[in-house]
Amino acid sequence: MSINHLILQNLKKNLKNYYLYVFALVFTVALYFAFVTLQFDPAMDETKGSIKGAAAIKTASVLLVAIVSIFLLYANNIFIKRRSKEIGLFQLIGMTKSRIFRILTLENFILYFGSLLIGIFIGFSISKLIMMILFKITGVEDVATLRFSTEALIQTVVVFTMIYFFIMLINFLFIKRQSILSLFRVLSSTEEKVKKVSFFEMIYGILGILMILIGYYISSKLFSGDFTTMNELFLAMLFILASVIIGTYLFYKGSVRFIFYVIRKKKDGYLTINEVLSLSSIMFRMKSNALLLTIITTVSALAIGLLSLSYISHYSVERLAQNNVVADFSITNKQDAENFKEALKINEIKYNEKMIDVIQVYANIEKIAESKIEGMNSDPRNMTIPVISDKAATSVELSAEETLFTGYNDSIQKFMPLKSSGQIELKGKNVVIPQKYLGLRKEYIVSYYFTSGGFPVAIVDETIFERLKKDIIPEIQKESTLYIGIDLQDEANLEEANDLFQNMTFNGKNDSRLEMSNNQKRNMGLIMFIVGFLGLTFLVTSGCILYFKQMDESEEEKPNYTILRKLGFTQGDLLRGIQAKQIFNFGIPLVIGLTHSYFAVKSGWFMFGTELWTPMIIVMLLYTALYSIFGILSVLYYKKVIKEAL
Amino acid sequence: MNILEATKIHKSYGNKFNKQDVLKGLDVSIKNGEFVSIMGASGSGKTTLLNILSSIDKVSNGSIYIEGKEMTAMKEKQLAEFRKNHLGFIFQEYNLLDTLTVKENILLPLSITKTAKREADEKFNTLAKELGIYDIKDKYPNEISGGQKQRTSAARAFIHEPSIIFADEPTGALDSKSASDLLNKLSDLNQKRNATILMVTHDAVAASYCSRVIFIKDGQIYTQLTKGEESRQDFFHDIMKTQGVLGGVQNEH
Repeated sequence: MSINHLILQNLKKNLKNYYLYVFALVFTVALYFAFVTLQFDPAMDETKGSIKGAAAIKTASVLLVAIVSIFLLYANNIFIKRRSKEIGLFQLIGMTKSRIFRILTLENFILYFGSLLIGIFIGFSISKLIMMILFKITGVEDVATLRFSTEALIQTVVVFTMIYFFIMLINFLFIKRQSILSLFRVLSSTEEKVKKVSFFEMIYGILGILMILIGYYISSKLFSGDFTTMNELFLAMLFILASVIIGTYLFYKGSVRFIFYVIRKKKDGYLTINEVLSLSSIMFRMKSNALLLTIITTVSALAIGLLSLSYISHYSVERLAQNNVVADFSITNKQDAENFKEALKINEIKYNEKMIDVIQVYANIEKIAESKIEGMNSDPRNMTIPVISDKAATSVELSAEETLFTGYNDSIQKFMPLKSSGQIELKGKNVVIPQKYLGLRKEYIVSYYFTSGGFPVAIVDETIFERLKKDIIPEIQKESTLYIGIDLQDEANLEEANDLFQNMTFNGKNDSRLEMSNNQKRNMGLIMFIVGFLGLTFLVTSGCILYFKQMDESEEEKPNYTILRKLGFTQGDLLRGIQAKQIFNFGIPLVIGLTHSYFAVKSGWFMFGTELWTPMIIVMLLYTALYSIFGILSVLYYKKVIKEAL
Repeated sequence: MNILEATKIHKSYGNKFNKQDVLKGLDVSIKNGEFVSIMGASGSGKTTLLNILSSIDKVSNGSIYIEGKEMTAMKEKQLAEFRKNHLGFIFQEYNLLDTLTVKENILLPLSITKTAKREADEKFNTLAKELGIYDIKDKYPNEISGGQKQRTSAARAFIHEPSIIFADEPTGALDSKSASDLLNKLSDLNQKRNATILMVTHDAVAASYCSRVIFIKDGQIYTQLTKGEESRQDFFHDIMKTQGVLGGVQNEH
């Protein structure tokens, strides 16, 4: 039997072991190729727009390579461990290590580059879909064409060949280090003898939790002005990353073990089946689990963080346009409004019109400001804010002593935190009117022309408004004191109306909501897309790694299931124990990943958009749901293994 | 009273074109408190017989009654129920869970039947002391010797006081000192607790500890030897002689 024959035979025999590896490969290659194709597509020039866009794509592709490498190396690790017995057998019958390595290399070569081809093909076929998604997000009106890019092909092949050599290097080291005996024993070797938890481990555990908390604390201070130079900021970020990641590892290694140990000690040997399958099994593999759980947690946190930021910006685009422009079209000049209405009438587009008088006054809000107002250059005793009458605001009825603020978002809340009630003063040129502040409402009533980009609008009683209007301070007034909002009755005509609007020549400052949201999309769309794409990749990768690990574990534990079933435990009993175990294995990294990402997002979200809670919670829920699929899959796999065990 | 009664047991593997009969109509009955061993050459079907009698494998034909209940008619779930209440197992490869300590391993069968913790502790203490493994109760299987593992395995089989204990080559992986240790403990437990034990072995020394030996050859019962009032030494010689006649692969000692 020649070596070549042996290799072929091996390939055929090992298909069961390979499929996991092949899947990992095809998946990552397809993803990478699709992404790189995008990068080289000429149609992308329009979305890339600036150098910034191109740089973003490049950075993303580097990150992608990093995840892909970790993922492939991990899959390869499981894979070679499964075949250790076979390698031992080859050595036993007298093959040299270098020869075995050659066989493995060749086998891997066929497999690897076979999968690479398939992956490229799949990547090619989905690249159009991805492009269409990108165009939709950025609002570019272009037809996505299926185009095979040679540059992308070359880049993909080069990157994956490099990873291939890296994998081979690791395999080489693996074979070189192992003795025949240890190769036979690899599968059953214990990772850790569970001994008494030492004092040091408790310290580790506590240290881990402390480090995570410190990381969280610094992240909350990150953009609050304590770190001023770029260098300091960068160092702080590095510190947060390191502290949280190491803290997570120590947490798993120390705290989780400690808690488990205490539970187990308390049981004094009398374990139920659930505990046998979850508690002791997890403790048994805590060493490799601690590392793996740390990786999964970090990757999950990254994924949730990226997806949240991406969705925050997407969500904010619509919101921002809505809040800034308020109506479909906001106009500040009476003549402009007349002209535009005329144009609408000619084209038979029906509309509603709303006019609101807006004046600017000084306000003393010192008493309702939370501690200090950060990052604002204005004096809280003399802030310029817009005022409207309660007649203009629907569903608001105020007495002469009351003032209500309206129009704010999470972002303003961060920069200008206000108490929920208190006393304020509104100042005209001569009069000072004390008012009872009733609180903040989210609703936006006038366009951002009047609110200087984001200040809340004060609503006062009609009489107070008239008094302020008579006592106006000319120097702080905007050019216009009249807001005209035009809303179409039928949103289907929006594009047509927008075209009319764009073709008119105006004197005042007028805005179209559609135009604004499109602009925003063009600016943010690419970043959003890339961040989202990376986030999804992270999600799939972390899920897959966990699933692979669980597959591996279930095969290792199969003899245990045989024993337990012989002892009289039913399949159902075992499965319940497994479910408990999986809730831990998938749940803990998810929960910790969620809190990590929560703090990460919270520290820098305002650079991406204006809304925090709604988009972040939606992303977190969605992530949990998608992530759970992997958990369910792994339970199903366990079910199969348990069924076959007897 | 017969605790186990098996009649006309047939077992064959393969499909109908390529059928291999392993067991060809065996009758076995075991009385309460007996210590019986099954002997036979390699491939004579002794392990298959044990697997079938212990409900791990299914018969092709025939019926098995344990304590008057027909086991062959039971469904998977009932079988699991049956195993946990009525059967105990000792295997050549110990079959201990690596992830559990000695004590946890031994208490497993009690946790299935949801025995109270104090009662379980008492049972464990007496049994572990009898078997001489009390001192290693907090160790893991990979930290103890083969003999200790097998005694742990035996303790696990005895702890829930099953109607019958099945042992598959329990001394197969032990050195002679640990083997005779274990066998002494087993016959002690057999006498003290009136436990019924069915053991498969091809070791004549191990078989000589029993009260009865069943020889099987090619899937059928060849003969039986009963110890009666004989000394263990004489019984051992009888077994050796029978083995010689049986003409299987002689075990070398």
